[in-house]
Amino acid sequence: MKEKTKYIVISIISFVLFLVIWDLVSKSGLISAKKLPAPSKLFETFIYKIFNKNPDGNTLGIHILTSLKEALIGFFFGIVIGVPLGISMAWFKKFDKFFSPLFDLIKPIPPVGWVPIMITFFGIGIMSKVSVIFIASFIPAVINSYSGIKQTRDVHKWVAQTFGASDRQVLFTVAIPSAGPMIFTGARVALNGSWVSLVAAELIASTKGLGYMIQTARLVGRIDVVFVGVLVIGVFGAIMMEALSLLERRFVKGGRRS
Amino acid sequence: MTKTLFSKDSRETWFYGIMGLLVFLLVWQAACIFTDFGRIFPTPGVSLSAFFHAFIEPIGRYTLLGHISISLRRVLIGYTLSSISGIIIGLLMGYSKLAHAIIYPIFSIIRPIPGIAWIPLAILWIGIGEPTIHFIIFMGGFSQMVMNTMDGAQHIDMELVGVAKVLGAKESQIFRKIVLPSSIPYIFTGLQTSLSTSWMAVLAAEMITAREGAGWLIIAGMQTGKIENNVIGMISIGAVGLVLATLLRNSERRLCRWSVRSR
Repeated sequence: MKEKTKYIVISIISFVLFLVIWDLVSKSGLISAKKLPAPSKLFETFIYKIFNKNPDGNTLGIHILTSLKEALIGFFFGIVIGVPLGISMAWFKKFDKFFSPLFDLIKPIPPVGWVPIMITFFGIGIMSKVSVIFIASFIPAVINSYSGIKQTRDVHKWVAQTFGASDRQVLFTVAIPSAGPMIFTGARVALNGSWVSLVAAELIASTKGLGYMIQTARLVGRIDVVFVGVLVIGVFGAIMMEALSLLERRFVKGGRRS
Repeated sequence: MTKTLFSKDSRETWFYGIMGLLVFLLVWQAACIFTDFGRIFPTPGVSLSAFFHAFIEPIGRYTLLGHISISLRRVLIGYTLSSISGIIIGLLMGYSKLAHAIIYPIFSIIRPIPGIAWIPLAILWIGIGEPTIHFIIFMGGFSQMVMNTMDGAQHIDMELVGVAKVLGAKESQIFRKIVLPSSIPYIFTGLQTSLSTSWMAVLAAEMITAREGAGWLIIAGMQTGKIENNVIGMISIGAVGLVLATLLRNSERRLCRWSVRSR
């Protein structure tokens, strides 16, 4: 226990030292504040941005809400459509044979690659972003639920069949629960992908959202706002991942690796 | 489970696979002919011929292969740098608790930030040009590399370490003979995920700051209203991504035959 406290103290010291050095470097002008604003300045900007619409037309809260809304809608539809599709591809052979080649074509295209096409279709509104994020989360959802079902132990299926379970019962009471951890891994990859491609889509074309905020701030040279935006993107990405892990701990029984 | 080309199962596979693709192409074609979709989107035929033309006629300043090789070079530079530094820092943090205590708090600020979100900062810091793109790709792969390597170095068999210590191994020997080999499967997992994010980061970076490369190709297709270029770009990006991933998976299979994870 004592060793643990020692390392925690070291961590805190290291972090504080990091901030102090950052502050000194910025304030002494070693690296100009135009390139590296001091942490204290970033905090001020953060507070300022919460209440103030400059320089990009919306307060920080609205940008965050817009981004979260887009990411979560796309993610939701990606999961809701992707997971059942993956499960049916793994369970019904003909389904698999029909969809696999098509899916193999789409799979290797990075979600960011879809941004221009979606913008051409849907304009720069919310639909283009939601559809890119849909693709970003749909693909890992399918892949992981597919391999989750495929990895069901044959022995478990046989036991169920021996006890007279119907095909449907085997699927719903054996295969799907045992694929749970894999499906959640898919959801985690999907969520991560959604957040990344959301930022990309907003950087390229939008009128609101965190990606738009940092892009506009760059164009007008407000590096402090860029910094705040980038940090906020990181923090919300981490929060969403944490929330998903909580859900996983709640709903998935067993099967957790180490 | 051996499949020959003419067994019943494989005939079915081909039949349904081709059916699936045909239905897709027909829907695409029909959508182009009968709906407004066709006004902005090229038919499959047009896209295919544009694809082959792109090998000969330059789009912008380069041909299709030129754009792809530019993107590939950028990825390779950024990816190599991020892999090397990610592995070093990951091993350090995984193996030494002190290093973990010092680096991890700072690293955890950077970790959740997607590589793409660094684009505006990178442009403000470095300006527009190659180093910016390399930096973005670097940030895209770096934290995944660190996390995976660290995971590997933390999951070593402590019994092995104990045995080595009893037999009088030095710290550096333990590191080289136990920690390093047992982290390698994890490092390969990291290399794979970070390669695909690097490939995504280069696209985003090129869409925003470059005048050549695969990412530029698709964004220019959108801006000039030549959606066929867009389609070509996506096909080739997908193909290159697939080739890269396969290469890496095969090299993993070769290099870590002993590992359970690489089955």
